[in-house]
Amino acid sequence: MPSPLILLGFCLAVTLMLPLLYVVFSAVTADPAVWGRLWTTRVPELFFNTISLSLGVAVINLTLGISLAWILTRYTFIGSRIWDWLLILPLSIPSYVLAYTYTYLLKRGGALEHAWQTIAGPEATFFSPFSFEGAVLVLALNTFPFVYLLARSAFKNFNVSFEEAARTTGANRVTTFFRVSLPLIRPSLIAGLFLAILYVASDFGAVSLLRFQTFTYAVYQQMTGRFDNTAAACLSLILVACAFVFLFGERWFRQRSRFYQTTGRYRKPTPQPCRPFTALLFTGYLVLVFGAAFGLPVLLLIQWTVTSASAGDITPQFFGYVWNSVSLSGLTATAAVMCGIPLAYLACRRRTWAGTFCVQGAYTGYVLPGPVAALAILVLVSQTVPQLYGTILVLLMAYLVHFLPAALQGMESTLQQLTPNLEEASRSLGARSLRTFFYVTLPLVRGGFLSAWILVFVQCMKELPASLLLRPVGFDTLAVRIWLEASEELYQLAAPPALLIVVITIPVVLLLMRKDRT
Amino acid sequence: MRTLFFFLAVMATLSLPSWGYAEDALVVYSGRAERLIQPVLNAFQAESGINVQMLTADSTALINRLQMEGDRTPADVLITNDAGTLERARELQLLQPAADPDVEATIPGRFRAPDNSWIGLSGRIWVIVYNTIMVNPEDISSILDLAGPQWKGRIAIPSAGSVYLQTGVSVIRAAKGDQVATAFLRGLKENAGSLVYGKNRQIVAAVARGEVAAGPVNHYYINRHLAKHPDAPIAPLPTDQGKQGMGVVLNASGIGVTTHTKHLTQAQALVRFLISPKGQRMFADVNKEYPLNPNVTAAPELLPLQNIQVADVPLSRLAQLRDPTMTVIEEVGLR
Repeated sequence: MPSPLILLGFCLAVTLMLPLLYVVFSAVTADPAVWGRLWTTRVPELFFNTISLSLGVAVINLTLGISLAWILTRYTFIGSRIWDWLLILPLSIPSYVLAYTYTYLLKRGGALEHAWQTIAGPEATFFSPFSFEGAVLVLALNTFPFVYLLARSAFKNFNVSFEEAARTTGANRVTTFFRVSLPLIRPSLIAGLFLAILYVASDFGAVSLLRFQTFTYAVYQQMTGRFDNTAAACLSLILVACAFVFLFGERWFRQRSRFYQTTGRYRKPTPQPCRPFTALLFTGYLVLVFGAAFGLPVLLLIQWTVTSASAGDITPQFFGYVWNSVSLSGLTATAAVMCGIPLAYLACRRRTWAGTFCVQGAYTGYVLPGPVAALAILVLVSQTVPQLYGTILVLLMAYLVHFLPAALQGMESTLQQLTPNLEEASRSLGARSLRTFFYVTLPLVRGGFLSAWILVFVQCMKELPASLLLRPVGFDTLAVRIWLEASEELYQLAAPPALLIVVITIPVVLLLMRKDRT
Repeated sequence: MRTLFFFLAVMATLSLPSWGYAEDALVVYSGRAERLIQPVLNAFQAESGINVQMLTADSTALINRLQMEGDRTPADVLITNDAGTLERARELQLLQPAADPDVEATIPGRFRAPDNSWIGLSGRIWVIVYNTIMVNPEDISSILDLAGPQWKGRIAIPSAGSVYLQTGVSVIRAAKGDQVATAFLRGLKENAGSLVYGKNRQIVAAVARGEVAAGPVNHYYINRHLAKHPDAPIAPLPTDQGKQGMGVVLNASGIGVTTHTKHLTQAQALVRFLISPKGQRMFADVNKEYPLNPNVTAAPELLPLQNIQVADVPLSRLAQLRDPTMTVIEEVGLR
């Protein structure tokens, strides 16, 4: 007789995996004609677009991430400590909010074009936001902090002896940087890149507003533009298969490239003060990047919010949307932590094959981009419990499948740090396992569990595709409102909910980063 | 810890009653832009005292949703900007037939389903908006002309997701065949380059600024733009007129009462309000669409509909044409 814990974990894992299995099933059993149509009309273009977008974003991310991290870890100048914090803030802007501010900034006859024309002549034009360049720009500005953060910590814990050895044997600064420093931080760069690419490939918000055709967006389009979901399921299957290959690739890559400090001296780099002119140059660069990724969009949002508030557009309905978002996100976060507890326990304390199966099963949501998760839940519910369709429960399930992995990851690592000795001591003194859990384990891990709760809460507040596709009548969330208004180009109306989401997200991003640093 | 649990429990309980919609509300599934339909619904709510709840989404997605919800659907009426979608809903038996003499007396037969399960509310024609400084309207006789090489880099077009484009292509396919439609789309794609817009409004604005010379749009976006900027150098051009011409593409927005509505009388009240002179006036004056109630005149600045030759493809045929049209559009690779 298996323990109740395993049974519970098993039920959870199966519930979380079922949606994916249903998508795979409906794609595999699809009419070959549908596959034929997709292969000839859509798939090559989608592959090309998704890959080129990821590569474009990757190149910009690397350039920005490395240069910013290098400047801020190797030099000190006035304000260099503050930038450390400021450069994380772009992570608090959802991709669709950044995209919609850029559709305004980059539009023909828009502010940026005017500024550009005063420099480059009246005939000069900017690229359209609805293009490859536009999508690359928006997503790169949205994700470069991932690469920056990892490059930064790599540069901080870097042994300068290697560089000094290179310099003493005659290499100049540039050669040293490219031949010694960069290769040494390669593992963290690759980790940051993988994170950014996964984010780009699964992004729905930005590409849908910029109408750049990627797999994730195409799934949504097939779901909303066609009278059956088979084609959407087929595209989903391809996307999920790629995600699996990608994740295994990353794991393999990480295992191959590890660098160790074997012997000898280890010295951390000390930042050097720099000359006023260089400091000015650096500050200018930092202001430019920060302004583009955070400052300018947020200023616009504030301005629009003020206009729309004074025009009386903030109605009682708006607070209804706020309440919808907050209550649903809170509920999902609570559910995620509750479901996470047995799974995290299995992962840390019962390393059997059954336990591993449950935990890995729960992580399936990682490879499901928002529209695919929504599609999966939709298909599953309509086949099994159609009564639930159109209720809040369906949306809750989609959120859970999508965000439980993020919660689980944090909870697992918290529980891992807690030695089983304490629990064993409690058990040996006669407490039952539940009592032990509530009186010994839980008080010790609540900090980690709380941050998992907050993480899921914020993710849900920002969630767009599943909310769009599965929301019940009268249950628009803030994210849905932003998207609906922004896709009509009603900038002012979209601003108040967008600003609110950014404001709620900022402290969370800072909190998570602070934890990361200590 | 206890505080945390307490907080979570309070949170969960508080959120329970706010879920979902009020039971007595009339639920409207709408595929139209909220901006174009909300004022009319507000007027209905004010006049009748019936509480209206709206869910806005893509028309096709709404049909999928209705189908999946079956008899549990909360929806009472379906409003879309495309008669083809409504006809599709009728074929799927999602809408209920009605024998309302009022409706039959008000809306002409060609703007209704044969069994009145959907009723047209407002008409729109697919015309070319051109810049009056840059284009001589006599140079264009057919919408197909826009695919010609002389328009390279001079037109803006709607995105593949546009229902108007889909309807237009359906009508061209019905009138001239798939090959002509495919060649037309290839030309449009080539000529427009990156100037593909999601909204008709953007095309009209681009033409008014002189960035492009012309583009295919629904007529009322031109009139709405002119109402705000009377001096804009733009004008509508109905194409394909004359004996040989196929006529302009006409589509209708419309409404249908769902088969499984639980508020039949209220739903019918909404239908009657929307076809009444008061409701129709709003479509005419605010939206600049053609009211389908013949007793209500269109806005004076519009081209009179009776002077325009309209393509001879019944609205109800748009439903069957739709799916193959999507495939044609995808094959050409329009975005």
